[in-house]
Amino acid sequence: MIAVHSYKGGTGKTLLSVNLAVSLLKHGRKVCLLDLDFRAPSLSSILKIDKTEHWLNDYLNGTCKIDKVLIDISDRFNNEGKLLIGLANPATEAIREMSAKDRKWEMRALGRLLSLKNSVLNAMDFDYLIFDTSPGLQYSSINAIVSADLVIVATTFDTSDIKGTNRMLRELYDLFEKKTEIVMNKVLYDVSSKSEREELQSKIKDMYKAPVLGMIPCFCDVSRAGGAFIFAQEKPEHTFSKILNEIATTIEKM
Amino acid sequence: MVRQQEVFGKKPVRILDKIRESLERLNEKMEIMIELQKTGRKDLQLLPDAPLDVMTLLSMPDHLRKTAMTVCRLGRATAEEVSEQTHRARAVESGYLNQLVIMGHLKKERKGRKAYFFVEKEDHR
Repeated sequence: MIAVHSYKGGTGKTLLSVNLAVSLLKHGRKVCLLDLDFRAPSLSSILKIDKTEHWLNDYLNGTCKIDKVLIDISDRFNNEGKLLIGLANPATEAIREMSAKDRKWEMRALGRLLSLKNSVLNAMDFDYLIFDTSPGLQYSSINAIVSADLVIVATTFDTSDIKGTNRMLRELYDLFEKKTEIVMNKVLYDVSSKSEREELQSKIKDMYKAPVLGMIPCFCDVSRAGGAFIFAQEKPEHTFSKILNEIATTIEKM
Repeated sequence: MVRQQEVFGKKPVRILDKIRESLERLNEKMEIMIELQKTGRKDLQLLPDAPLDVMTLLSMPDHLRKTAMTVCRLGRATAEEVSEQTHRARAVESGYLNQLVIMGHLKKERKGRKAYFFVEKEDHR
C-alpha cells in the first residue's frame, strides 16, 4: 500500500498518483487508486466520472463494502494491466460532512483502511493500492500514512514546503516508522545532464535526509494540460511519462 | 492456585503449564496494580472512552505507540503475537498492552488461557 502525501497543496500529488497508477498498469500490474482527499476530491473530475453508486465516503462510513466502491476503468487502457478506482464524493455536503467527523469515527476509518490489505491486496489479488491524500496533518491523510507500507512525499523547492516537509519527516513519518521516499516536483534542471541530475539528487537527499525516488522537472505542457488527460497514457514518449515510468520501475524493485 | 490432587500423577509438562498460567495471571494483576498506582487511581474500573485515533497515537510515547500500532494492524492479538511483530519480549508487551487497556485505548478479552487485545469490536469490511 502506497500513500502519496505532501506538506503543502499544489505539489502534484494527484498528478503523481494517477500517472504512477497508469505507469504500474502499463507494467501489467493490477492497481487500485483511492482518492482520500475528502476536502478537495479531484480524481472524479480528472477521470471524468460524475456519478457513482457508492463513494469511498460510504465505505469509511461502514455502509458498503469496498468492492461496491471500486470502478474498473481498465478498458480505457489498451493493456493487460488493470486499474480500479475509488472516488471521494465531491459534493459540498459530503465534504462538509467528512470534515465534521469525530475521533471515534476516524479510529474506525483507520481500521477500515488497514483492512484493505486483506480485502483488496490479498482477497482481490491487487498488486498495488495507492492512496491519493490531502496535504498536511489531516486525519484522513494520517490514517492513510499509518496504513501504508510506503509513503511517497511530493515536495517542491518552495522554502515553506521544504521546512514543513522536513518537520513531517521527523515528527510524522519517523514516529510511525514509515518507509519514506521523496519525489521533488517542478524542479528546474536539465534532465539530459547526468552530472546535474546527480548533483541535484544528492542536494535533495542532504536536505531531507531521506531517499529520493524521483525528480520531475517543471514542464509547461504538463501545467497547461491542467489534468485534462493522463500523460503516462496519452503521451508515453514525453519526458514526464518516462520519469514516472522510472519511478514505477524503482517501486517494483522495492 | 493449582490443587495438589489435581496435579498429582499428571505429566510434568502439564504441571509446568499450570504454574506458568498462574504466574502470568499474577503478573498481569501486578502490572495493573502498578499502573493504577502510577496514575493515582484506586479502582480497577477502566477509562470509558479513549479512542485510539491517529492523533492519540502521535501523542503517545514511542514504546506504547509501537505496541498500539501493532494491535491496530493485527486487529486482535495476544501479547505473544504482538511480541513476534515488535521483536520485544512477551512480558514487556504484556505490560504495555495492559497499560493501554487501563488508559482506555484497548479492550481485553480472555478466551481460555489466552488474553486477546483489540481496539474495538467491529466488523471490518
